[in-house]
Amino acid sequence: MAIATLRHHPRFRELGLTVKILGRNPLAVAGGIIITAMILLATFAPLLAPFDPIGISLSDRLKPPSGNHFFGTDEMGRDIFSRVLYGARISMVIGLMVVGIAGGLGTLIGATAGFIGGRIDNFIMRLMDVMLSFPSLVLAMALAAAMGPSLTSAVFAVTVVMIPKFARLVRGEALAVREMPYIAAARVSGAKNGWIILHHVIPNCISTVIVLGTLTLGDTILVAASLSFIGLGAQPPTPEWGAMISVGRKFLMDQWWYATFPGLFILVTVIGFNVLGDALRDVLDPRIRR
Amino acid sequence: MKKLWLSLCIFLLLIAGPAVAEDKTTLVVGVSSDIHTLDPGVSSDNYDWRQIYPCYDRLVKYKVVNGEGSTEVEPQAAESWTVSDDGTVWTFTIRQGITFNDGTPLDAEAVKFAFNRTLTIGKGPADNIGAIESMTVIDPYTLEIKLKNAYGPFLQTLATDGASIVNPNVMQHEKDGDLAQAWLAENTDGSGPFTLTEWTRGQRAVLEAKPDYWGGAPNIDTAIVRFMSESADRRMALERGDIDIAENILVDQIPALEKNPDIVVKRFPSQLVEYVYINCQKPALSDKRVRQALNYAIDYQGIIDYVLQGNGVQMRGPIPKGMWGHKEDLFQYSLNVAKAKELLKEAGAEGLSLTLIYSDRRAAWEQIATVMQSNFRDIGVELNLELMANPTLRDRVDKGDFELCLGAWSPDFADPYMFMNFWFESDKWGLPGNRSFYKNEEVDTLVKKAAVLSDQAERVKLYNEAQEIIMEDAPYIFLYQVQTIVPMRKNVTGYVYNPMLESMYNFETIAK
Repeated sequence: MAIATLRHHPRFRELGLTVKILGRNPLAVAGGIIITAMILLATFAPLLAPFDPIGISLSDRLKPPSGNHFFGTDEMGRDIFSRVLYGARISMVIGLMVVGIAGGLGTLIGATAGFIGGRIDNFIMRLMDVMLSFPSLVLAMALAAAMGPSLTSAVFAVTVVMIPKFARLVRGEALAVREMPYIAAARVSGAKNGWIILHHVIPNCISTVIVLGTLTLGDTILVAASLSFIGLGAQPPTPEWGAMISVGRKFLMDQWWYATFPGLFILVTVIGFNVLGDALRDVLDPRIRR
Repeated sequence: MKKLWLSLCIFLLLIAGPAVAEDKTTLVVGVSSDIHTLDPGVSSDNYDWRQIYPCYDRLVKYKVVNGEGSTEVEPQAAESWTVSDDGTVWTFTIRQGITFNDGTPLDAEAVKFAFNRTLTIGKGPADNIGAIESMTVIDPYTLEIKLKNAYGPFLQTLATDGASIVNPNVMQHEKDGDLAQAWLAENTDGSGPFTLTEWTRGQRAVLEAKPDYWGGAPNIDTAIVRFMSESADRRMALERGDIDIAENILVDQIPALEKNPDIVVKRFPSQLVEYVYINCQKPALSDKRVRQALNYAIDYQGIIDYVLQGNGVQMRGPIPKGMWGHKEDLFQYSLNVAKAKELLKEAGAEGLSLTLIYSDRRAAWEQIATVMQSNFRDIGVELNLELMANPTLRDRVDKGDFELCLGAWSPDFADPYMFMNFWFESDKWGLPGNRSFYKNEEVDTLVKKAAVLSDQAERVKLYNEAQEIIMEDAPYIFLYQVQTIVPMRKNVTGYVYNPMLESMYNFETIAK
């Protein structure tokens, strides 16, 4: 499909409208700005960070925030500001990767289950129910612990935990889409199940997936940070926010800045994604929209 | 409104509760790590001995001189003793009237049983009393011990935890010929001033005092050891008054504690050293050039100046300052990145990736591990860090299932044997002491020869010779010797520190 025709494709006209409506929502703008800022910080961390995030300098241990070290230094004399910036990178990459993979797989699973129905649907959804019945952090902990503590296993664990959320939501949508006349039309003209799922069912669910994805991003960053906090995620010297708080809390009484700044960054990022997700949900809901 | 007041009162009671509930007779110690085993015939860990030691009597005990622990011993369960002129036959007269909890008398048979049990099990404690060749019960309260050879520190070894006298009746708990090891690992059965009444893993151990202890009732009724892995938790609990003594507080937090008027911070010169076991049996580490390179990679001065805040000195060889045999002019590794890289290149071990295991037993270890990771990166060695619970770590060390591991060691009696023989004899691999799984026949011969001599000057000569070889072979990274810092509540009195009983408490005489 050429670009020119793309612009006139109905789905993209919709997108333009969405952005316009979002612009009128102050919360959405705030969330958007936070997220954009975080993404920029993460992308340009190597340019913005004044110090090496893992280079230790023992003589600069536990210095309070100053003009040289904006957020102070940690127990190894590393610059917390630089570490927090690199931490943004890690958290963003984890968030996007997890939501991308979990969203993709979840959508595929949910659409298949909902569209095909019957025993397959039953089987898949009961499996998803079992996974949902665990608190997500507990399940992620079990998976990460089983695989051995590392960032990769944390990403894997969180991905697995997030899949059912997408699957359940998309399945609901797919159930409705299945009854639409255009599906029947596609069937009559000889389309196979797989083709219909990819070309009709999933595109019609995409707006809900985007909303859930945005909301889940905040959640994902939080769960991944929690895993690192309890030692199952990022390993030292990786400047991951959760891991930084984990060590920083040992110094919390005398060196408040150590755990505070990574904590603030988690807080702001998660709020940003949640606010944006909420606004997106409002905007994309046709009942509110029209 | 009434309801609000009521709930406010309850809330205030709840938060004020722990602070006012100062039971005069319960002493609580907050420590960093859990117990591994309670069997005095098996354990070689001061953190176990802390609980085991007060539950048993030994033939002799370390003297307390002017409120300070000494390395001299005085009678405990033994009333008196004589020694043959050649120093090989010791005859102990055992105090009458000491009984175990079930009424069994502590007599010569009991002592013989306990020593035989430890020697048969053959773990670390067996090395402590390894000089014993045979024992003969002359009469119910007289025991003759024959030594393989005259052994200077023999009497002191009888004051160590491994020489605790276990009730012979413990054998009724024996299963499949294990000499009741399974039972004693979780229970105590001695004649000491305390009895263990509770051990909740990860939580606490409770020691109940015996009011009718033959040596006089302890000043406290109960001693509770609480396992709190975070230094910050222990510090807060101490400031709140939830615990009376806090062990192993991060040096960074000491100045703040010193400002608290309810707390006294005591400092003692210790013989506690912290070092890194390099597993010589692992492929890359079997090359001594690699081990030397790792020794050259460490920023010793940086660690001591900043992480320890000057609260320690770099080790010079295995024997610590304050112990005879310490060699003031022995070769010492220091930071030398170029040399380390060169050695690695020579050994063809560039791009090496190693794993360091450590526990939160010592508060500073996390930081030491991070410094090592950074230091090793400078010489091109990738270091992965693996933190685990101390009991798990000890299992892995015993099996040799590690590459590098952080460790701490303190002597049980004032003799370089504690370092030179335990650390380097190839038949003490694993927890008993040779935790780098090091084997050098020349060193073996030298230290074994030194162990059986009684002439101190001759022994020093042999140990010196061995130390030179050891520094060249570099089976460990010798980090530093620390000062022991014990912060406690002001109302705790009678605490005695003894470098031979590191991290252990004189619960029987402490008061509050």
